[in-house]
Amino acid sequence: MRKWQLLIAAVFLLAALFVPLFGLTDYTLQILFRVFLFAALGLAWNLVGGYAGQLSLGHAAYFGVGAYGLALFSKLGISPWAAVLLGVVLAMICAAMIGSVSFRLRGPYFALCTIAFAEVLRLVAKNLPNVTGGDVGVQVPLLFAHSPVRSFYWSVVLLTAFALGLSAWIERSRFGYYLMAIREDQDTALSVGVNAARCKLWALLISAAITGLGGALYASMFLFIVPDQVLPMEISTEIAIVAMLGGAGTLIGPLVGSVLLESAAEIFKNVFKEANLLIYGVLIIVVVLFMPEGIVGTFTRKLALFKKAPAVPFAAPVPATIEAESERAALNE
Amino acid sequence: MSLLEVKRVSKRFGGLKAINDVSFSVKPSEVTFIVGPNGAGKTTLFNLITSIFHVDSGSINFDGRDITHLTPNGAAQIGIGRTFQLVKPLRNLTVLENVMLGAFLRTSSRAKAEKEATKVLSFLQMEKVMHLPARGMGLPTLKRLEIARALATQPKLILLDEVVAGLPTSEAIKLAMLLKRLPEWGISTIGGIEHVMQVVMRVADRVIVLDHGTLIAEGVPQDVVHRPEVIEAYLGSKYKEIAL
Amino acid sequence: MVNWFYIPLQGIINGLLTGALYALIGMGMALIFGVMRIVNFAHGAFLMMGMYATYVVFQATGVSPYYEFPLAGILLFFVGYATYMGLLRPIRGQVDFMVILLTMGLALILTDGAQLVFGADYHQINIPLLSRNIHLGSQISINAPWLVSFAIAMALAGALYWVVTHTMFGRAARAIAQNPYAAPLMGINVNRVQAVAFGIGSAAAGISGALLLPVFYLFPEVGNQFKLKSFVMVVLGGMGSIQGAAIAGLVLGVVESLTSLYWGNEWALAVDFVLFILVLSLKPSGIFGSQRA
Repeated sequence: MRKWQLLIAAVFLLAALFVPLFGLTDYTLQILFRVFLFAALGLAWNLVGGYAGQLSLGHAAYFGVGAYGLALFSKLGISPWAAVLLGVVLAMICAAMIGSVSFRLRGPYFALCTIAFAEVLRLVAKNLPNVTGGDVGVQVPLLFAHSPVRSFYWSVVLLTAFALGLSAWIERSRFGYYLMAIREDQDTALSVGVNAARCKLWALLISAAITGLGGALYASMFLFIVPDQVLPMEISTEIAIVAMLGGAGTLIGPLVGSVLLESAAEIFKNVFKEANLLIYGVLIIVVVLFMPEGIVGTFTRKLALFKKAPAVPFAAPVPATIEAESERAALNE
Repeated sequence: MSLLEVKRVSKRFGGLKAINDVSFSVKPSEVTFIVGPNGAGKTTLFNLITSIFHVDSGSINFDGRDITHLTPNGAAQIGIGRTFQLVKPLRNLTVLENVMLGAFLRTSSRAKAEKEATKVLSFLQMEKVMHLPARGMGLPTLKRLEIARALATQPKLILLDEVVAGLPTSEAIKLAMLLKRLPEWGISTIGGIEHVMQVVMRVADRVIVLDHGTLIAEGVPQDVVHRPEVIEAYLGSKYKEIAL
Repeated sequence: MVNWFYIPLQGIINGLLTGALYALIGMGMALIFGVMRIVNFAHGAFLMMGMYATYVVFQATGVSPYYEFPLAGILLFFVGYATYMGLLRPIRGQVDFMVILLTMGLALILTDGAQLVFGADYHQINIPLLSRNIHLGSQISINAPWLVSFAIAMALAGALYWVVTHTMFGRAARAIAQNPYAAPLMGINVNRVQAVAFGIGSAAAGISGALLLPVFYLFPEVGNQFKLKSFVMVVLGGMGSIQGAAIAGLVLGVVESLTSLYWGNEWALAVDFVLFILVLSLKPSGIFGSQRA
């Protein structure tokens, strides 16, 4: 099943590379840019939120730090690509700090903590105009001088491919096993020697790096950023939903989710105009109520039942029940 | 030449003294059982040895090292395996994958982990269910899965908390016979049991009796079971006279 | 006595006045979180609904929001009850973040819905009370509407506390909060109690919106900041403790007010989050909580 997922994705991404050669408008390419950007962001989120089961609602923090890193380091005179690198490193440092506090928390507290950190960063960016330009914004250097729109598109397709390959490798490795064990039952994982804190942190560092890189690319394409564009909760939510709609914990879920969601959002904007967010909200509710494992997750599970295959789809998470939590809590009383 | 030395360990939870000045030691490749009525402190003792809780006073030594204060994942790393009273399988993985989780402690290669896990599962006579998802398994299988996962970490000492609780007697005895073979593999076992004495009598080299957090008796099973303090702890003072 | 005393004193008083309103919102969230461990991301949207509902009635009848607020409460009680029964009960078995996502989706629907119906413009109402100020000595002045909302909010907070501690419902709710598995065995209709609790919590949000109407701008996203503040209060107050959340509300009001005074408005919200993070990292069970997080 997994090999099929990889194959389909690889073919899809390969085809995607050729798309600009068909003379699409810049506008269309920008939409496609967004599709693959969020696919990459979703795949990055999936490492922490899907495999490790830690629902981060603050990934905008890393996105924004990557974006502002590029902008601000360039202002200091550093060359753009070096600034991108520094931005990514800065995003990873933020991840280390945020993770060290947040990962000690369980359940909803973790999610709330990630929200808090991202909001603090957003407010800092807004309220320090001398450093970040505040609400007025800051300029971002252009990373690709030569046919920029296509280049940005290709860059996010490549980023998606990279994130996908990385996920595939992690999924099969001991690290991936450990992440999934942490998701299923952290105490069990600890009892067999898994250093849960270290694993979660590494997952977050990798996730933040890719997210930060995405942020830098996004910022560069728009040439100008403001805090409410790259650091708001809406971005964090969009990233999480893309992954969960497609299937958190599956390999190509986030890719599927992004293709569907971003195209749907574009269609909604044109068809429903102001009601597009409302439809978006309805979509979220429908997914939670009827397809909590996401599209790929539900599909894989149904397929397994159909084939009566003994092997369990390796990554589809079935939500842990309150019972298990309560038992565990009672045990630790 | 002890493998594990527990020295004068005490632990309080609020007003309750759960473990009261307990000392004992365990030799390599030996089977010890800690028995005691419900609430005696067996699970707490296990939690202290594996540093899920930290002792208030006293010390614990393992293989010559002081392990009184470890991180929760440290116990497995230094060679202490553990099962839980309420089984905790990873439901979305297969039985084999569950055990591989334990094997991964000693190797980072999937292939080697799979081999080790298969070996352990064969020992526990679970070859038939290896590739089935853990979710659908019954209690006897899940109990064995717990043990298999702990064994896959290649421990020198394994702590089995209520390993036969909830099993029909035939199952319990079958499992106990398997456990009796653990010393052959160089593994020392400490089992915590509330009342399934048939298992204890057949399998244990030594028995330690806890009551309300205090160690009240220690010795070979045949001897300990007849002691008046032990009978009183289980059945009340009226029955002390049974002891002879 | 000079400014160095009166200015911060005014700040503290203003903070307590706003804090009372926060306390009401926070208690609603704490009730929901305490009984059901649900992080309700639609809490702010419920406040917004209460605010718009009161606005509509005010425009139609001219009756002051300080008399109308019970309507908002009743409306949001039913909205909350229906939300729980219809949307949240079916997914009770699932992980926390599914619930968070669902309430987020609901918030989006309500917020965008409000924008469709009322437009994105900012609205404001004018009542005669707004121009009345009460003076304590020559240095301290209190804007009358805030005093009224303070009184109402504190009264309601007290009433809520009384309900939770002295009624069968309250006892049932606390039982469920402590042990959701034993509670039904004691004959408690868990679903009904939880739905009522959700309704009451939402009503608190709605009433807060009504009380906010005279003194705040009305627009579709108005609930967002209050939602975030509620999270902060619940955490500060400790694991769903209603009293804790109420005190946390007052504390938050004062901290924000003093922050605005000395560092400017922009930092007030940031300080909320910093406080939040500090409490989560140093004492996750909350300032007033005693259990594990």
